[in-house]
Amino acid sequence: MSDAATGFSDVTTADVRAAFESENYVADDDIVTTVELALRLGKPLLVEGEPGAGKTELAKVLAGGFDAELLRLQCYEGLTAESALYEWNYTKQLLSMQSAEGGESVFDEEHLLERPLLSALRGEGRRVLLIDEVDRADEEFEALLLEVLSDFQVSVPELGTVRARTPPVVIITSNRTRGLSDALKRRCLFLHVAPPTFEKERAIVERKVPELGRTVAAELCAMTGRLREEPLLKPPGAAETIDWARAVAALRDGGDSALDDETVERTLGCLLKEVEDIERVDQELLVSLREAAERARTEAD
Amino acid sequence: MDPAEHAREELVRFVRALRRAGVAVPANAGTTAASALAAVGLADRERVRVALRASLITKGEDEGTFDELFAEFWRRLTAGLDPSGPAERPENPPDGGLAPLGADPAPGEHADSDGENDERDGEEGERSGLGAVVGRGAGEAGEEVTAARYSPTGQREAISSFAVPDTEGFDDAFDELTRALAELAGRRWTGGEERPDVRRALRASLGTGGAVVDLPRRERARTAVRARVVVDVSRSVLDVVERPFLLRFLQRAHAEWRDTRTFFFDEDLREVTDSFDAPSSGAALAALERAETEWGGGTHLGRSLDRLRTDFPYSVDRRSVLIVVSDGLEMGDVSALETALSGLSRTASAVLWLNPLAASPEYEPTARGMAAALPYLDGLFAFAGPADLVDLARQLRREGPHGSIGYEHDAWRTERRTTHQTQTT
Repeated sequence: MSDAATGFSDVTTADVRAAFESENYVADDDIVTTVELALRLGKPLLVEGEPGAGKTELAKVLAGGFDAELLRLQCYEGLTAESALYEWNYTKQLLSMQSAEGGESVFDEEHLLERPLLSALRGEGRRVLLIDEVDRADEEFEALLLEVLSDFQVSVPELGTVRARTPPVVIITSNRTRGLSDALKRRCLFLHVAPPTFEKERAIVERKVPELGRTVAAELCAMTGRLREEPLLKPPGAAETIDWARAVAALRDGGDSALDDETVERTLGCLLKEVEDIERVDQELLVSLREAAERARTEAD
Repeated sequence: MDPAEHAREELVRFVRALRRAGVAVPANAGTTAASALAAVGLADRERVRVALRASLITKGEDEGTFDELFAEFWRRLTAGLDPSGPAERPENPPDGGLAPLGADPAPGEHADSDGENDERDGEEGERSGLGAVVGRGAGEAGEEVTAARYSPTGQREAISSFAVPDTEGFDDAFDELTRALAELAGRRWTGGEERPDVRRALRASLGTGGAVVDLPRRERARTAVRARVVVDVSRSVLDVVERPFLLRFLQRAHAEWRDTRTFFFDEDLREVTDSFDAPSSGAALAALERAETEWGGGTHLGRSLDRLRTDFPYSVDRRSVLIVVSDGLEMGDVSALETALSGLSRTASAVLWLNPLAASPEYEPTARGMAAALPYLDGLFAFAGPADLVDLARQLRREGPHGSIGYEHDAWRTERRTTHQTQTT
């Protein structure tokens, strides 16, 4: 991949930081440096981490912050090359064949339906290609990605080789439900996004939900952190904390007063997504959550 | 020492230390890390740490080991960059050209080493002089040691010096393989589902007073094969493959199969289909000689297979089986090999890899090129004689080209291996 062709070869740390700032994305120096490197070297970035750690958001923020087009390929089991690359518009082909004078090909641009990967390769200008949750796709699909990731080209038998004139920035996310191939990893820079610390999560909530009081935000993050210590079926990620904070903010009319049990119980569904997890929050655990919240409130004051 | 050279040397040492500690560092990660270092500079410790971490590790759980070893890397790096205090000379120089000849490879070093050497270690004695290069150096105790490395290139030879005799049992084995590979319709008709068999229906109706009780159907028997054969004619392959066997195989493929195209490659790819379409062995050899085809040279698998895709874009299609004859020794970029094979495996009906080395009961596909190619193959098979063709045909008939086939599913091979292990112990 040509560095210059991506349009990011001269990007600086300040540029990346400004892009994150403009999108209200709280990023550690680790993330800023790794993203800067991926942009400057023109390498795909493989982002791994727990669900809700902000992996997908990273790509969205990059696209928004650098005013680039975002193309998203959501991976799933059984994802085929046709769904990811291109398909032929069979109906249109059939109509063309019926109405054609004869001899005209129906395997041309006019009858081609672009899917996300081909769109990303053939587009112009700055683009961010998000290949989301690649670990959900089959291993065969990974093989398809290799040509795209290393050469930014793909072969369409009827049209020939399609090579990107301006390669997109590629962000690949994985929740590690299965191991990825060495071949895929070899083509990427690697970033492991750890679950947010209390301080980072609090900064995220303050940035994303500014209408919530500072001490209440600290209370919420402390309670989320305490809940993550429980053996939950689906521990809440940063995204759930933000949802919860928004719900709490909507129920309160401003102010910095302490959270009451009723508000917590009414809004727990934003944080916990499994019935078993919600049922686990009994009176004993509520007391423990309130204690964690009070400690956080004291320190925040 | 030049700062850049010092940084390079320390980086190589760091990569080796990570591998020794069990971190899965990708084969090309050293190069990526060097580019990353050039991008972030050497002034800021944190930026260097993050840049190397992004380039060298691929699993979150390796971060702890990385951070531990990074501290030592940084100490050595900065000591060497300090003009007032030159870097201490390394006690254990990095891999590659600086490693003492004969030194044992460190565990985990294989990714950047020439894996082909590893898989041939037990065979070097038999093949001394056949493309092996021998070097001398000092061992740990000061004694002189000799290390042999398999020559990836060797010398070129004219192809016309090899005869093409019939090989015992070859024809029957090849016929079996043809039947197993046949997926295209031949000329003969057989019972099937495609078309009504009007003649049989009429004959049967005579017994029922003209009433057609049952409508038999028929289809073309699948007896034809369309194949693309890509043959590695580098020295490393020619030292182990039986050349008459290989040439006989190609000649029969051209004579018996419906549509066969053959390509030779070492450093580059060239089509030799016309030569094998010639009616006789002598004519084929003469044609090859006229085409200035030679045996030998280095191996660029990835580049050659990529040329097959780009220069002959319609040669491999969904009705053709791609047969690669090679030992998997890749002297070029492994990524290029993966890219080329991923495309070909999607296009071809099946991709079969015939490796002369796989005839050994001890063989494991650990060489870089072979390991990289393996995920894209429908099967990896031995290719040393008619018995291997019989085995290939047997597995294809039983499982089909996309079933559980390959050297690892060869019961006979497993048996031979068990016997071999029993004898050695």
